[in-house]
Amino acid sequence: MYRIPILRMRGDRLPLNSVRVPRFFLIFLIISIIAAPLLAAVGCELNDPDRDVKRLFPESTGYKTLYVSVAQKGGEELLRRIEERLGDKFKGLFETADVPYTVYQIFKGKETIGYIHGVNQKGQYGGVQVVLALDLEGNIKAFYFQKLTNQYAKQLRDPEFGRQFVGLNLKDFEDYDVATGRAKPGSRAAAIKNPAPEAESDFRAALRATKKNLILCDEFLLGNKYLK
Amino acid sequence: MFKKIPAFFLMALAALPILAFSSSFLFFLEVQGIAGWSSAAKKAVFYSMDQMEAMQKPSLGFDYVQRLSGAKGDWAVLAVQARLAVNAEGEKTLEPQLYNAYLKFKTRSVDIWIGHNRPKFGLSSYLDNHAQLLQPLSMNGFGFDRDWGIGLEHDFAGGNAGFSLTTGSGMPLLFKGNFLLAGRYSKGVLDQDNYTVGLSALFGKVLDVMGYHLLAEAPVQLALAGIDITWRRDNLEHRIEFMAGDRDKYGAFLLFWRTGLSLLEEGRLKIEAQPVFLIASQKTRIQFSVGATYLASADWTLRAMVTYDQEKKDSRIVFQVYYYKGIRF
Repeated sequence: MYRIPILRMRGDRLPLNSVRVPRFFLIFLIISIIAAPLLAAVGCELNDPDRDVKRLFPESTGYKTLYVSVAQKGGEELLRRIEERLGDKFKGLFETADVPYTVYQIFKGKETIGYIHGVNQKGQYGGVQVVLALDLEGNIKAFYFQKLTNQYAKQLRDPEFGRQFVGLNLKDFEDYDVATGRAKPGSRAAAIKNPAPEAESDFRAALRATKKNLILCDEFLLGNKYLK
Repeated sequence: MFKKIPAFFLMALAALPILAFSSSFLFFLEVQGIAGWSSAAKKAVFYSMDQMEAMQKPSLGFDYVQRLSGAKGDWAVLAVQARLAVNAEGEKTLEPQLYNAYLKFKTRSVDIWIGHNRPKFGLSSYLDNHAQLLQPLSMNGFGFDRDWGIGLEHDFAGGNAGFSLTTGSGMPLLFKGNFLLAGRYSKGVLDQDNYTVGLSALFGKVLDVMGYHLLAEAPVQLALAGIDITWRRDNLEHRIEFMAGDRDKYGAFLLFWRTGLSLLEEGRLKIEAQPVFLIASQKTRIQFSVGATYLASADWTLRAMVTYDQEKKDSRIVFQVYYYKGIRF
């Protein structure tokens, strides 16, 4: 048996209030938890949803926070399809099937007017976070880095850089090769310019994160509108 | 009328993917093992700071966040975070610990919380140290990691402002004429601007508690003002906090600095050093700690800390195995 002290005074040898807990209860609790389906801990939430939603959708009146994971939506089969669409494997701390993605459904009154979704992505110094605001058709309304510690962050956070993504959708990134960082010449993805050549790896991280984000939004929100 | 049906049907169909597979809550399981060696005790210890302190001890816990929403969006969030910790010294006991236990309401201009949450003072008002071995000044008797009461805060374009009115009793909810009023104004959003600077002040009559242990019956007067700075660049991070004021009629002066360096792919390894300098109750105290955190996977974290406390004449080495994983229901 274990005893549970609720509050003990200094100098007291024994707890003022205690509850006996049978060992079998603890064992049962642990087994129940182990048997339940599990999710990874890493996700990407907005720093301050109230402020960010109002900035990205000035006409909005509210938002709903929803959690969804690849494991929950379609498991291994869905993960394989997402990797195939991305042209790369999910790997590392930030890319597991059970990551709970946070989706913000944006309202004007009772009507949904768009979504905000952020993803974690391996960057030059740890993780970067890329957030997209999308309209109901999956077109990018706004792009920005949430977390980015690179010393060239100022250039990459410049609104001019983010504006290059506005109006693009998953179709524009279909031919972007995340492994080589090359896009089909003449495509809209190929036209995105890196404002900080010294931060090439974080620039490529931004493009990979954008493609991944758009694929996840297509799977989670748009009913695979862009799936060929 | 019939023309409206297909449109409605298509809208409902379009909404189906997100509605069918999403949830409005997160539930995480937390398990940690702690073991170390204390030179003062000359034996193995199973805590990071002190057996009477809440953090860190071998424990099993959970972290639950529930979004409450209506047809027009979220209107509140409920957060509950608790542990069942093992007191391994002397008579072995299990200690239930309640950390987050609050309901936060969203209004058009401010968020208002009620329950057990972080008082609005200094670095510990936004630093998530729930799993960490290195601890901020709030764990040294100057402020509280969590406290019972209410708080109000507002985020603006370049920062945040808020205050809290709490019981000044920390982990337990006790009423002995105690209270704590705290406020903080900050500029810079850390994850966006890579810096934040905060000015804080607190005043109250607080109880002398350590974890769930009441050390004195009568509350003591506490008045502090402070400045905290966090700054990141590339793989470096600095956190500095300075406080000055009075505690129990004596002058208090505190200086805290934590510097961290992230290494390896994805910043999996973080090395930190933390000197702390305190003058309180006419005594000078110096603590120096170094720590390492290794993210073995998305769920498993390994930590180690070596700390020296000049007042206790104690050197401790502590290891932690930490598991944090979401559970779907």
